[in-house]
Amino acid sequence: MARPTSFGKDTGLQLRMTLTLFLLGLVYAALVGVVFASGYSFLLVFVVGMFLVQVFASDKLALHAMGAREVTPQEAPQLHAMIERLCVQANLPKPRVAVANTHMPNAFAIGRSPKKATVCATTGIMELLSPAELEGVMAHELTHVQNRDVMVMTIASFFATVAAYIVQFGFFFGGSSSSDDDGPSAAVVILVSLVVYVVSFLLLQALSRYREFAADRGAAVITGRPSALSSALMKIAGTMDRIPQRDLRASEELAAFYIFPPHAKQSLMNLFSTHPPLEKRIAALSRLEAQLQGVA
Amino acid sequence: MGLFDILAGRRRLARPAPDRLFAMSTAYVTFQTELALRSRGLAGIVFQALATADFEQIAKDMVEVVEGTSSDSGTTVETRDDEYDYRWMILRDPDFDDLVVGVNAVSGALEAGGYGERILCAVFAFEDANGRPLYWIYNYKRGAFYPFVPAGDHARDNERELRLKAQVGAELPLEAELERWFPLWGIPI
Repeated sequence: MARPTSFGKDTGLQLRMTLTLFLLGLVYAALVGVVFASGYSFLLVFVVGMFLVQVFASDKLALHAMGAREVTPQEAPQLHAMIERLCVQANLPKPRVAVANTHMPNAFAIGRSPKKATVCATTGIMELLSPAELEGVMAHELTHVQNRDVMVMTIASFFATVAAYIVQFGFFFGGSSSSDDDGPSAAVVILVSLVVYVVSFLLLQALSRYREFAADRGAAVITGRPSALSSALMKIAGTMDRIPQRDLRASEELAAFYIFPPHAKQSLMNLFSTHPPLEKRIAALSRLEAQLQGVA
Repeated sequence: MGLFDILAGRRRLARPAPDRLFAMSTAYVTFQTELALRSRGLAGIVFQALATADFEQIAKDMVEVVEGTSSDSGTTVETRDDEYDYRWMILRDPDFDDLVVGVNAVSGALEAGGYGERILCAVFAFEDANGRPLYWIYNYKRGAFYPFVPAGDHARDNERELRLKAQVGAELPLEAELERWFPLWGIPI
């Protein structure tokens, strides 16, 4: 009886995630403070505009970039039925369902809120995985939807974008302002922005990895089959290595929303990747399976 | 989910909502008298069969519980796994009230075993005056019913469903969000 309530709980992960968000907030507060003090606040207005475009137009752009197309229940009855059941189980409204016609086995979810969400699977992943494995992958994507990961990451990366713009603008207009010096000079603003950009980049990557763990966990909780997701991840990883690079039409920005990063090269630089390494994800899932079986 | 749950990426599976299943027993009177709907003597409860050691035993016990709860007519239970790996427990009983009681006994046994959140839904099979099948689906997570009228291959009769919604009115706790009227294709009852 105690098992189902504790199944799928990970206080450590939640603590790390909260700490990361807190640090990001701290870094951004420093940036905003410096920018306002310097009198370059007009830059912010420009970037807020960019941000809104990103939030409201990114869905269609991302789908288009992936070559994905929304499908009706008649076109993909199996996929629709599977997602419908998962939605009942996860207590979510049904998202739009799209399919991308590519051999690369992958899946992703986009949309700023559960009501506007779209989940997409490639034809490659549907051919590769068994129904139970595909169910795990789709549950992973639905957990991204439920956790509002697109919105969280967009907001979290907002100031990093601002910092990046300031650095770029700074190189164009740098040093031209030699007027009365009440606040920090342009050079200081650029330097602070650069630091903010680097630090927040690392924090964002960490946040993205934590949210992947959370989505794996959520998928295991929804389906009750952590091992099916493990085997799906291993299958995808196995194929990923064999797929030639030219198939990678996705832009870098989209990588964070995939079930599996398209350019996983067993990187030594874990710090710089949006997804946790496969072994760690498998290990986390097998801990869940043990919890479920009542062993741990 | 609260804001903090979203930020911390916390996921918990929704527990079953407060039980409104028994509203079906009272609504059935209206179904018969005003809507000319007849029970087909079949009901199903759909859940994820987990591959854990104690689950099979709980499932086995459930059958006995259900067959024990029915008054005298004797409910028979049949178990079947569908193509999506969900398990159907199909109850057969000419007495409609016994069906509702039986479905409640199954969900009760699952909850007592600690698997309450694995239940997907309960399905009650009816037919109209022309003998066309029609289902009422009870979503445990939401504690609400909605109609499902299949019309051929992966098509549903939305007009009929919406009319049923208007006709039933306050008799049943209905699912208010139409986008949560999830179809169940290939219902085996």
